[in-house]
Amino acid sequence: MDTLLLARLQFATTTSIHFLFVVVTLGLVTLLVGMQTAWVLTGNPKWERLTRYWGQLYVINYVLGIATGIVMEFQFGLNWSGLSRYVGNVFGAPLAIETLVAFFLESTFLGMWIFGWHRLGKGVHLALLWGVAITAYASAFWIMVANSWLQNPVGYEVRDGIAHLTDFGALLTNPSLGMAFGHVVSAALLVGGMLMAAVSAGHLIRRTPDFALFRTSLRIGLVTAALAITMVQGFGFAQFGPVGSVQPTKFGGDGPESQALIAEWTTRFGPGDYTPPALASVGLGFMVLIGFTLGCVWLLLPLLFRDWVIRLRFPLWLIVLGLPLPFIAVILGWISREVGRQPWVAYGLLPTEQAVSPVSAPLMLASLIGFSLLLGTLAVTNWVLLARHARRGAADPALGRPPAPPTEPAHPEPALL
Amino acid sequence: MDLAWYALLGLFFASYLVLAGYDYGVGLLLARGVGPAGRREALTALGPFFLGNEVWLVAAVGILFGAFPLLEGELLAGCYPAVAGALVGVILVTVGVQLRSRPDDERVRARWDRVVVVGSALAALGWGVLLAALLQGVPLQADGHVAGETHLATPFAAAAGLAMVTLVAVHGATFLTVRLSAEAAAVVGRTARRLVPVALTAVALATVVGLLSARVRDAVQRPAVAVLLPVLLVAALLAARAALARRRPGWALVATGAALALPVLLVGAALWPYVLVSTTDPDASLRVADAAASAPTLRLLGWVALPLLPALLGFQAMCWWVFRGRTDGRAPVYW
Repeated sequence: MDTLLLARLQFATTTSIHFLFVVVTLGLVTLLVGMQTAWVLTGNPKWERLTRYWGQLYVINYVLGIATGIVMEFQFGLNWSGLSRYVGNVFGAPLAIETLVAFFLESTFLGMWIFGWHRLGKGVHLALLWGVAITAYASAFWIMVANSWLQNPVGYEVRDGIAHLTDFGALLTNPSLGMAFGHVVSAALLVGGMLMAAVSAGHLIRRTPDFALFRTSLRIGLVTAALAITMVQGFGFAQFGPVGSVQPTKFGGDGPESQALIAEWTTRFGPGDYTPPALASVGLGFMVLIGFTLGCVWLLLPLLFRDWVIRLRFPLWLIVLGLPLPFIAVILGWISREVGRQPWVAYGLLPTEQAVSPVSAPLMLASLIGFSLLLGTLAVTNWVLLARHARRGAADPALGRPPAPPTEPAHPEPALL
Repeated sequence: MDLAWYALLGLFFASYLVLAGYDYGVGLLLARGVGPAGRREALTALGPFFLGNEVWLVAAVGILFGAFPLLEGELLAGCYPAVAGALVGVILVTVGVQLRSRPDDERVRARWDRVVVVGSALAALGWGVLLAALLQGVPLQADGHVAGETHLATPFAAAAGLAMVTLVAVHGATFLTVRLSAEAAAVVGRTARRLVPVALTAVALATVVGLLSARVRDAVQRPAVAVLLPVLLVAALLAARAALARRRPGWALVATGAALALPVLLVGAALWPYVLVSTTDPDASLRVADAAASAPTLRLLGWVALPLLPALLGFQAMCWWVFRGRTDGRAPVYW
C-alpha cells in the first residue's frame, strides 16, 4: 500500500465520522436555541425540561465532534504537508479564521452554558447558547470557505510554484460556496429535526411518561425536517449550475467542457487520468434518491392535526425507521463533493499526490489503523451513550440538575470494605 | 509582522500548556486513590474551564496553519510520532472527561478515569517530546523535508517528555489546591508540595541531558537564553513550593503556570531567528521569516485577529470570573 492511498483513506474515515457528529451539533443547537428562548420568554417549565433533555443529548454528541475535529485539523499537517507548503498561504487563512472567530468562542461559551445553570442569570445563560449557535454557524461557514477553495481555487496567484493570496473577497464569493453552504446547513437542520422526531416517536411508541413533552418535540422535529428537506433539495439542485461551470469533470469526463479542461490539464501537467472515480456520481445518485424519499416528510404534516400521527402509530414507526436515511445522505453527499474533486486536492492547481506528506508507508498505516480504531470505538461508544440517554427520558437529565442539597456526606465511601 | 505572529503563536501554545496543563495534571491525579467521590470532586473543580482550555490548542494550530503554513506541514509531519501521540492523549482526555459521568455504574466511571489518566500522560509526554525535538534540531534536508522519525528517539527528548509530565502534575495539584473545598485542598496541597521536588529533579535531568547533547548545543543559537530560562523554571517551581507552604495557592498557581509557559519561550528564543534547525545541512535550516505566510495573508489575518483578541481573552476571563472561588456541595456537577 502506498502512502497516498493510506492518507486518503484516513482523511475519508476521519471526515466521515466527524461529519456525522457535526451535522447533529449544528441541527440540534438551532432547535435548542428556540426551546431555551421560549423558556425565557414564556417561563413555561415545559421548555426548560425540553432544553435540558435535548441539551444533554446535544452535549454528549458534541464530545465526538470536538475529538474528531481536532484530528481533522492536525491531519492537514501530519498527512498533507504539501497542502500547506504549496497552497497554505491561501487555504490556511479561512481555517485559521475558523479556529479563532468560531471554534474558540463556541467551546468557551459551551463550557459556561453547561456549568452556568442555576448560577448565571437566565438572560446571560440564554445569550451563551445563542453565542454557541452563532459561532457554530460561523464555524460551518469558514470551513465551507476553505473547502470551496479546494473545489474551485480563486483569489490567488502562483509565484515560484507557491500560491499567494491576492483577493480574499474572491474566496467569499466563490461560486462553489454559497449554495453548498446553504445545502450543508439545511442538511444539518434536517438531521437535527429527524433525530428529534425519531427519538420522540420512540418514546410515544413505548408510551413512556411525558407524553406532552415528546408530543411537542415530535411536532418541532417534523416541521423542522419538512422545511429543511425542501431547502436541502432547493440548495442541492441550485448547485448543479455553479458546480458544472467551475468543476466540469466532477460527475464524469464526457461533456465538451470536461474534454476541453482535461486536454488543457494534459498539456500543463502531462498525461494522466483526470476523471474522478465513479464513486462520486454513484454517491450523488443515491443521495438524490434519499433526498426525494425524505421529501415524504411533508405527507406526515397533515397528520399533526388532532395528533393523528401519534394515534395511527404506524407513522411513528416510519419516522424511527427513517432516521438513518439523512445520515447516509450526508455521507454520500460529502463523498460526491470530495471524491468528485479527484485527482486534485486543489482543483486544477495541486494534484493530490503532490500534497501527501513524505512519511513512510508503515507509519501512515499505523496512523490510519490507530486513529480509525480510536475514533471508531469512541464514536460507537458515544452513540450507545446517546441512545441510552435518549431512551431514559426527560425525568432527570444531569444537565441543568439543581445543585445537591448540602446534607450530602463529603465522604460517602465506607472506610473498610 | 513575522515576529508578531511568531509571538502570537507562542502565546497561544504557551497558554494552551498553562491552561490545559492543569487539565492534564488533574487527569493524572485521578490515579492518586481518592475514591469515586474524590475523583468527581476534582473533575467538578475543573468542569467549567475544561472546554475553554482545550480550545487554545485548536487556535494555536489554526495560527500555525494560517500564519506559518510551511512550518505547520514540516513540523507536524516531521515529528509525526510525537504529534500523533500527543493527539491521541488529547482525544482520550477530551472524551474521557466529558463522557465519564454519563454511565451511572461506578466501575464504568473508574474505567473512563483510567482512560483520562493515560490520555493526560500521553498528551504531556507528546508535547514535551515535540518541544525537545525543536530544541535538538531535526534532520531537515535541502528539499525542505524532514527525513525519517528516528531523530525523535534521544535521551533528551525522553527526559523533556518526563519533565513535562511532572510539571503538569504539579500544576494540576496546585490548581486543585486553589479550587477544592478547604478540607480537600489541604490534602492535595501537601501532594503538590511533595511533587515539586520530583518536577525539580526531572527538569534538572532534562537540562543536564540537554547540555550534554551535542545536537542541542549545535541547534541552540543563543546559549545564554538556553541556560537562563531553565534557571527561571527552577525558580518558578521553588516559588510555587514556597507559596504552597505559606498557604498562598493562587500565587503558587501563577508560578506553576509560568513553569509550563517557560519551555515554549525557551524553544522560541533559543532558536531565534530559526524555527527548525537542521542537524544534517546547516543551509537547510528554516528561519521564522521564511516559514511565515506571505505578506497579504498575514495582513488579512492581522485585521481579523486585532479586534478579535480582546473578545477572546474577555470571554475566557468571564469564564474564570464567573467560576472563581472554591467548589462546594452546591457547585454544578456535570462531569
